[in-house]
Amino acid sequence: MLTLHGVSKTFRLGKESVRALDGIDLGVGAGEFLTVIGSNGAGKTTLLNVIAGTCWPDSGRIAVAGQDVTAWPAYRRARFIGRVFQDPRQGTAPHLTVAENLALAAQKGPRTLRWALGRARLAFFRRELAVLGMDLEKRLNERAAYLSGGERQALAVLMATFTRPKVLLLDEHTAALDPAHAERVLEITDQLVRAHHITSLMVTHRMDHALRVGSRLVMMHKGRVLLDLGAAAKANLGVEDLVGLFRKVGVVDDELLLTDAKACAAQ
Amino acid sequence: MALFLAAVEQGLIWGLAALGVYLSFRVLNFPDLSVDGTFPLGAAVTATLISRGWDPFGALALAAAAGMAGGLWTAALSTRFRIQGLLAGVLTMIMLYSLNLRVMGRPNLPLLGRPSAFRTLSHLTGLPGDWAKVLGAGLLGLGCAALLIALFRTELGLALRASGDNPTTAQAYGLSPAAQLTWGLALSNGLVALSGGLAAQYLGFADIGMGIGTIVSSLAAVIIGEILFRPRGVGWGLLAALGGSVVYQGAIRVALRYGSRLGFTAADMRLLTALVVLAALVAPAWRLRKEG
Repeated sequence: MLTLHGVSKTFRLGKESVRALDGIDLGVGAGEFLTVIGSNGAGKTTLLNVIAGTCWPDSGRIAVAGQDVTAWPAYRRARFIGRVFQDPRQGTAPHLTVAENLALAAQKGPRTLRWALGRARLAFFRRELAVLGMDLEKRLNERAAYLSGGERQALAVLMATFTRPKVLLLDEHTAALDPAHAERVLEITDQLVRAHHITSLMVTHRMDHALRVGSRLVMMHKGRVLLDLGAAAKANLGVEDLVGLFRKVGVVDDELLLTDAKACAAQ
Repeated sequence: MALFLAAVEQGLIWGLAALGVYLSFRVLNFPDLSVDGTFPLGAAVTATLISRGWDPFGALALAAAAGMAGGLWTAALSTRFRIQGLLAGVLTMIMLYSLNLRVMGRPNLPLLGRPSAFRTLSHLTGLPGDWAKVLGAGLLGLGCAALLIALFRTELGLALRASGDNPTTAQAYGLSPAAQLTWGLALSNGLVALSGGLAAQYLGFADIGMGIGTIVSSLAAVIIGEILFRPRGVGWGLLAALGGSVVYQGAIRVALRYGSRLGFTAADMRLLTALVVLAALVAPAWRLRKEG
């Protein structure tokens, strides 16, 4: 469903240069749920950015569902790539209501003069929101800005999944939430991804999350894939084992302070 | 009464420009200064066409189209050539100054004795001139506001709003920020030029200097509307901008008539308007600091 072939990306900030992606070859099959872990600066977020098209690779090809999208701008790829950001404020439009945000996500192709909030659509939104179990179906006309971080992120996950994208990108999407909401949003994500068999990549700092959900685990370091574990191997792994694996490659967590997100924004 | 009528007429006519500015500043989140050029562009196109024997309504349509072209130009400067938004608008504004002179052939083009949309309306309805002006301005002002309100409720309009509200989200849902800005600015400047064209027919002339301060007076209308009517949502926001424009024009009439007693003259109007906008912009921050 998703193929990366020899994808490289180097950031140059002043005299320093950081090789965020170093010839990544990665194939993700239909319905696979990949969790991606790695130290700061390992290239996780850059990986998602080049797939989404918000960052251009220096070399390599990216294909989604057999189609080469390397030269496509982000908004064009968005028709079949869903994305949830770390910051809940990025995944929703604050001054639009809950219903309007959902309507924005419901029609990813060319927009027409159809009413954005038709009756049938609103009923559909209510049903979908009810799945979240957060009573958001009763707050359709509230602005997204008035939702809590967790509610807003749950809404963003729903928005990103309900057009059934071919690939879903989750960028540490629970990291900015309080523990209870982080758990709830992870649960919702897992539930939606599995219910709709959406091919997904989830970047996370939380090794326990990386182990708990998903059908495959990838560990990145210095722009390369160090470890690629299938469902069976992953099931037998504990958090300590993962930490041990990190130690083995010599990762100290505060070793690389430059995060990918900052580097991409600075470009 | 005459003062009240004048405020309503002018408030609605110049209110079209306020709708355009609401669209660029509030909806698209783009500080578009080209309106100082597209307002007189609308007036110049209308006056020139009418003086060549065009129908006043046809002249208005072409004025709006010319304004849209101006908006497209600013959008192109911003998206294709990556020129900063404010600068893109200023460049368009300056270019249009020359272009407007070219269109009119001279700095001032009187329309005395020429047909106007208001005269046609008066003829059609049998209403006296003043009321025909109110009717014409009201039809166009409220009509455009209603169309925009409806547009904002469609998928196309929602795309425009989302793109201005959160470009990252909009892009993640298949919208090109550049494309949204382009048609948004075209629409905005089309409204502003329509306002200019109608203003020329109302005043009975087009003048090269009539666009100066359009951005400030339109923003004043938007802000006054927001303060007085505290609109919730973008639909009410548009109506509030129209209402704000009427209040603003009323205040200007009053100031012109009674201001002389305080030593103000017409020459001080722009300074006063800018001070009103400044106060409205500074007040929220100041209040926050006082409370916080």
